[in-house]
Amino acid sequence: MRSLLSFLPLIIPSVLVSATEYHEQLNLRPLPLSALLASFNFRANTSIADFEAQNFRLFPRSLGQILQYAGTRELHLRFTLGRWDAESWGTRPWDGTKEGGTGVELWAWLDAETDQEADEKWLTLTNALSGLFCASLNFIDGTRTIRPVVSFQPEGDHPNTTLDNTRLLHGVLPHEVVCTENLTPFLKMLPCKGKAGIASLLDGHKLFDASFQSMAIDVRPICPSEGECVLQLEQTVDMVLDVDRSKRPHDNPIPRPPPGRDLICDTSKPYHKPDDSCFPVDHLRGQEWTLSQIFGRTMKGTCPLTDSETPPVCVHIPSTRDIFSSEGAHEIKYPNNDSLRCYHIEQEKEFTLILTKPEVPADGEAASLGIVKPETPVLYAERSFTGHGQEHGGVQAILTNPGDDTVEFVYMESLPWFMRVYLHTLSARISGSSPNTNTTTEIVKQIYYRPALDRARGTQLELLVSIPPHCTVFLTYDFEKSILRYTEYPPDANRGFDVAAAVITTLEPKAMNIRTTSLLLYLPTPDFSMPYNVIIFTSTTIALAFGGLYNILVRRMVGANEAPSGALKDKVLGFVAKLKKKKTAVAAVAAGGSVTPATGKTGAK
Amino acid sequence: MTLQSKVGVFAGAALLRLVLSTAFPSLPDLLTGRVEISTPVTSFKRLQEGLFLYSHNVWPYDGGVFHQAPLLLPLFSLLPDVEAWPIFTSLLYILVDLLSAYALLVIADSGEAGQSKHFASPRRAKRSSGLLVAAAFLFNPYTIATCIGRSTSVFTNCAILFAIAKALSGSPFNAMVAISFASYLSMYPLLLLPPLVLLAYDRQSEKRRVDSAIQFSIRAILIAAVCISLLLAMSFALTGNSWDFLARTYGIQLTLSDLTPTVGLWWYFFIEIFDSFRAFFLAVFWLHLVIYVGGLSIRLRTQPLAVLTILLGIFAVFKPYPSIADTSLFLAMLALFRHLYPIMRYTYVASATMLYATFLGPAFYHLWIYAGSGNANFFYAITLVWSLGQSLFVSDLTFAVLRDEWEVERPEMVGKEIRQI
Repeated sequence: MRSLLSFLPLIIPSVLVSATEYHEQLNLRPLPLSALLASFNFRANTSIADFEAQNFRLFPRSLGQILQYAGTRELHLRFTLGRWDAESWGTRPWDGTKEGGTGVELWAWLDAETDQEADEKWLTLTNALSGLFCASLNFIDGTRTIRPVVSFQPEGDHPNTTLDNTRLLHGVLPHEVVCTENLTPFLKMLPCKGKAGIASLLDGHKLFDASFQSMAIDVRPICPSEGECVLQLEQTVDMVLDVDRSKRPHDNPIPRPPPGRDLICDTSKPYHKPDDSCFPVDHLRGQEWTLSQIFGRTMKGTCPLTDSETPPVCVHIPSTRDIFSSEGAHEIKYPNNDSLRCYHIEQEKEFTLILTKPEVPADGEAASLGIVKPETPVLYAERSFTGHGQEHGGVQAILTNPGDDTVEFVYMESLPWFMRVYLHTLSARISGSSPNTNTTTEIVKQIYYRPALDRARGTQLELLVSIPPHCTVFLTYDFEKSILRYTEYPPDANRGFDVAAAVITTLEPKAMNIRTTSLLLYLPTPDFSMPYNVIIFTSTTIALAFGGLYNILVRRMVGANEAPSGALKDKVLGFVAKLKKKKTAVAAVAAGGSVTPATGKTGAK
Repeated sequence: MTLQSKVGVFAGAALLRLVLSTAFPSLPDLLTGRVEISTPVTSFKRLQEGLFLYSHNVWPYDGGVFHQAPLLLPLFSLLPDVEAWPIFTSLLYILVDLLSAYALLVIADSGEAGQSKHFASPRRAKRSSGLLVAAAFLFNPYTIATCIGRSTSVFTNCAILFAIAKALSGSPFNAMVAISFASYLSMYPLLLLPPLVLLAYDRQSEKRRVDSAIQFSIRAILIAAVCISLLLAMSFALTGNSWDFLARTYGIQLTLSDLTPTVGLWWYFFIEIFDSFRAFFLAVFWLHLVIYVGGLSIRLRTQPLAVLTILLGIFAVFKPYPSIADTSLFLAMLALFRHLYPIMRYTYVASATMLYATFLGPAFYHLWIYAGSGNANFFYAITLVWSLGQSLFVSDLTFAVLRDEWEVERPEMVGKEIRQI
């Protein structure tokens, strides 16, 4: 029942001892219903003096030079895909601190005296990182950048004097699809480049097939109480794999229903009949897998640069379950935590783990699953749009405090400018109370709001909220969907626009982060096919109105019978009459030569 | 026209509005949300947002939602909270509507529509009574919807009507102050200044008469300029010594950066226009709006009130963010020219077109925005029809005014068919 973080203190002190050091660790944690959390952590330290002298060893040069050029004091970059299902998976890994909203999220403390200087450095940083990580980070422009006030605090140790001259900027790209091209540069930054050690397990096919995955890069300076300051680069990959789906390609690449005789049925169901109706209890059997099955490859020894004291692989599973490791690996058990097992591995030797099926399904839910029961999170958060139509809309965030303590947190939103937020409609209501009772001021303690400016910047909203124990709070506000110029819509305009996840930072009872899912905002669209028609129709209307009025104003009035016959009708009539005359003349000529002399004669007379 | 009937009309109109907004408590919010009533520069919901930010020490002009004049903020912050006490806001709007109607009454009773200083219509005997004009304004559904929808254009309309009424009653100073208020609130009434100065010049009181037209107009324009500068200076002080509000209130009308649909012609045109031509067409559209002022003032020099009416009609069609509030003002002024109705040619076609657009507009908007079974072209088409119908009204009125003028020199042509060459 210990959280994932509880064993980390075992590792961290050893990290801080020496200035230049590298360690990596993989934590495996079976979750309910055939889900498996695999949490990779890579940590490299370099002393600040080495870093400033451009003496890179474990720290990647490519990133280091960008940070120096853009004057970055602390950097956090996240690539996230999928949704963490807190209802069944419990607390997030690393308490959510290494997770981002869907897409890409970046925040950094930059050395800058003025906001303008910070903007320039931010532009440099995003463009350089965009090239480095093959992501569209260069699209983080002014409209997607905010300057959070209370939500983010520096994680590293900064002297107060430098902190005064730094600016925090935060940008999100919710539309960005994270994929293999982002993993490759991520692996290249590791000292062993994904060729050895736990990183050799990271395969794009498996990572991006996961139900949830988050890649994080954190750079922060750390100053131990004695010794010199170091710059720490921490790379993290958290993924929740579906064990059944991961195993599938091996023996049954196309998903097919298993034959009836292989089904394991829940015989306690009233409708259960042998060979006829069955409630399958597959997922209640408990997990069984091997490391090579779920990652599609075996682990290739350890990285030679890694700190030998840190065990590279750990599994969180009750001690009753059997795990077999490949030869040469050495299992460690911890007396203070019997559900944790770690493995030391020999270099240059392939390593695999085999988790066997639990022998007897015991009573009790968690016990029968044979996993460590996930810890209940401090807060559940979900967010959705309300209302219908493409004119007005609302946002509703449902925040539930399941615990016995009052939870205090900062709720932060970074919204695009075309969502015109009406802050006066913001209301917070505790479930059970009627919608009309106004409890906003009791729940929302403080509001920090920076309204959006059309085409220049997005909305920034930070709320300090406190929720009493065992309560659910509904946070709602209205907004208006604006209509854009037709060139401002993406090619798939009717798909909608992504709205970044809300970031929740809890302050009490403990500090952690939660991100809601991102939202899809559907804006009204013009007809993209007819700019010419619209220009022509509107211009015609204006011309009709102007022409009509102009005619009336400048022309002289006369009686209908006094008008000279210059009118078009008269001209046409005259022309027709002329034509008729000519026709008769021609006909007369054509009638024969005999007529001509006659006319001649008459002429002679 | 007794005092009793006056009180009856005014009280009836006030009661009707009060009953509508109290018996249907959701009606004001529904109407506030309609694009036909609320434009980005007059919407009450945006005003509420501005007020909320203002009272919580966030500068509303540092955001993209609030585009209305700064002095509205302290005015509305004096009122009790509209969520808790909607009745006070309703009362304020009803009062403003009644004031507008009173100004109309004064305008109609002055008889200026039929007989100005330099021109007397042969049909002037058949003039509309002031009470009828006021009632036509007060019971016009467009006016009622605007009042209940709490669009801030009612303040502009009231200021314009007062400016005209004051000019007619021989107090140019008050007229200039009123038109400055209107211009400060909405900017476009500034274009009414030339005909209004002419009107005030024609109707000066005998006591303080200025004979030189140039001297008079310089004086009037100076008064207006000083008054507007004072209002802008007050706004400057009010918004924390910054000129940001200029770009947010008047700048947005000049650049049309907010493309929210309205009943006008601008929004869809500037959604669809190619980016490289945007600035050019903005200039063309504004120039188009401005050129009528000079031409009409010169051609109809003898009838400044007719110029004002025609201009208001043109603005209701061609200004950047028009709404039915502007149409209601034009229709109210149109009622003054009852003696010209017999010589208007397309009254039936124009009013049928406007009715058609009034009923189909909301339906097509629903199809586009809510049902999803129509696209933006549906609503765009209906705004085209609306604009055409209204511009037909405007040109028809112009024709009637000119024919009326012409028949003074050609009395034998009354009732005969005529032609323009």
